[in-house]
Amino acid sequence: MIPIEYWLVFSSLLFAIGAYGVMSKKNAIVVLMSIEIMLNAANINFVAFSSYHTTLHGVAEASGQVFALFSIAIAAAEVAVGLGIILAVYRRYQTIDVDKINILRW
Amino acid sequence: MRTAVPRILAIIVLAILFIVTIYQVDWPNGAMDDTTNEDVGQTLFGTSNDVGYGLIVLLIGLLLLVALLGGVFLAKEEKE
Repeated sequence: MIPIEYWLVFSSLLFAIGAYGVMSKKNAIVVLMSIEIMLNAANINFVAFSSYHTTLHGVAEASGQVFALFSIAIAAAEVAVGLGIILAVYRRYQTIDVDKINILRW
Repeated sequence: MRTAVPRILAIIVLAILFIVTIYQVDWPNGAMDDTTNEDVGQTLFGTSNDVGYGLIVLLIGLLLLVALLGGVFLAKEEKE
């Protein structure tokens, strides 16, 4: 069995990769994909801590897995709306470069 | 052209911070459990003694439907 530290390190690295993508990439779709990577890192944490909790306390429940399922569903909804917004922005401004999109600036 | 070096350095520092924090914790001994699909299903929809998350599953389905409709509305062509 894999110790929990390995899962947490893996999740941290995944989160850092996603954060790098959000901070450095200019393409809005790549930014959206990076956000999904960060969400997947959080899901791995959910499942890892749930399994660890079950082992420590001997109670067979899978709340972390269930919350990861909810998180995946909410991520799907977010992607649907995000891609729709990107499509609308592209139709109007002919670009999805996040440095050039400043319509939310007041 | 923006330089990527500060961002890469910031991310490496963030990752090292995470890893150091994880290894500083004295985790109690215990390997990962083998959770089965049955456990997930029983937690999700409940057993005879437990309620579960059935209502939340319904609400998530409603959220997905609304997101689908919102995505279609945002993506459709505008009429001139």
